[in-house]
Amino acid sequence: MPSTIKVEIKRQSNPGTTPTTEKFEIPYRPGMNITSLLGEIALNPVDVAGKQTTPITYDSNCLEEICGSCAMLINGKARMACSALVDKLMGSDMAQPITLAPLSKFPVVRDLAVDRSVLFENLKKVKAWVPIDGTYDLGSGPKQFPQVQEQRYPLSNCISCCCCMEVCPQFNDVTNFVGAATIAQAKLFNMDPSGAVLKEDRLRALSGDGGVQECGFAQNCVAACPKELPLTEAISDMGRDVFVQKVKDIFTR
Amino acid sequence: MATAATPATPPLRGVQPLRAGQGNSFFWRKLHSLTGIVPIGAFLIEHIVSNFEALNGPLAYAQQVKFLNSLPLVRVLEWGLIFIPLAYHALYGVFIAIRGRSNVNVYPWAGNWMYLSQRVTGIIALLYIVQHLWRQRFTGVMLPEHPGAAFHKVQMELSNPWMLAIYVVAMIATTWHFSYGIWLFAAKWGITPGEKARKTFGYVCAVFGIALCLMGLASMYAFVGMDKYKNAPEDVMPETTMSAPAASATAPLPAVATVASSK
Repeated sequence: MPSTIKVEIKRQSNPGTTPTTEKFEIPYRPGMNITSLLGEIALNPVDVAGKQTTPITYDSNCLEEICGSCAMLINGKARMACSALVDKLMGSDMAQPITLAPLSKFPVVRDLAVDRSVLFENLKKVKAWVPIDGTYDLGSGPKQFPQVQEQRYPLSNCISCCCCMEVCPQFNDVTNFVGAATIAQAKLFNMDPSGAVLKEDRLRALSGDGGVQECGFAQNCVAACPKELPLTEAISDMGRDVFVQKVKDIFTR
Repeated sequence: MATAATPATPPLRGVQPLRAGQGNSFFWRKLHSLTGIVPIGAFLIEHIVSNFEALNGPLAYAQQVKFLNSLPLVRVLEWGLIFIPLAYHALYGVFIAIRGRSNVNVYPWAGNWMYLSQRVTGIIALLYIVQHLWRQRFTGVMLPEHPGAAFHKVQMELSNPWMLAIYVVAMIATTWHFSYGIWLFAAKWGITPGEKARKTFGYVCAVFGIALCLMGLASMYAFVGMDKYKNAPEDVMPETTMSAPAASATAPLPAVATVASSK
């Protein structure tokens, strides 16, 4: 049983400053996760050399891998802090330091908190919603076949954590690729009997620069997704649908 | 047609949002993907199958070269279905490769390695093809006009062990790039969307790629390893001189006569 947990955290106090690494040693307790570890540091923000510092800033909310806010680089890999268990991150000798860093492809706000607005903007670009706003009661929606519902449900599990985008070799500031999450949500709403009314808009949006064509099929997204969304299948399906739409548009628009 | 105005985008730092419906990169990327299958992939199969004739000896190989060069509009076919699509595929491929940010060091997963391998094999194939075209197609004995000299020309090239090594590496890289390219094509164009379909088709592409590679390597063996074809004559059809297409365009009758008389 180790006596302490060693943690190395990449920190910066505001978006403009150069990041530095601070080291901490926290008394060991079994069964901790990264968010409880960060909470422990906040209780007593003193680094390994005894220097007083500030609590670590990070996003978190639900603490049960359903809100998507606590994604960060844990031992270098993108994952959710709440479901990352300290006991499994300390190596076989239970003595390895755990490294924490903010997601590398999103602008840092402070410490481990990053600005993931690009996903929200992308979801707006593909109109990832059902357009039923109105001034009167529209009654119940159209029925869905259970087969369609079974395909849609896994896609509806997306928690917008952005892990799929962080791990994607094509998601960078050169390609400005839209990322797997948005493509999957476009499929989710295209398959909705009411949402399908905006299907062509979504497909045309996804054919723009940075659209579905930028995918290089490295399949990191589907491997990293904490909610196990069928992301590669969604990219494949949307790739076909966008192509068919573009061909239709040549002859009909 | 239902439409809804797209909400305004605030300025963001870092990776920028989708440029919905803007630009032509979809067309160029799909063209890159398609040209890899047809005509370039189809040509690669033809090239490897044709080279396989080398196993039947210098004369059979020469006849295959002669047959290909007697196809109607052969220079148009060569430029329109090979050189131009290949140049586009290669240049756009380099453009794709330099825009990617490989991260196999952090995420050493199978698909991620294949992503990197597709870029590495593509670059190897490009470098190889440039020298291959220069040394075998555009310099030395002109094979379209002297098909009989084909076997000797290739044999001389492969007699250099360094060049042989380059050819072996390039054969593996090219067939790898093509077979994984077929798999990628099927995945990205939505032909094999499901996990199971992609896995099954992966085996199909692997078997196909290995078969193509082995055929190519076997043809190389005919040039350097088979005793009965050692020291092949410089030209096995010295009487055959096929007219250049420029000449045949201006004077078609003598060109036909030359080919006919050589039979």
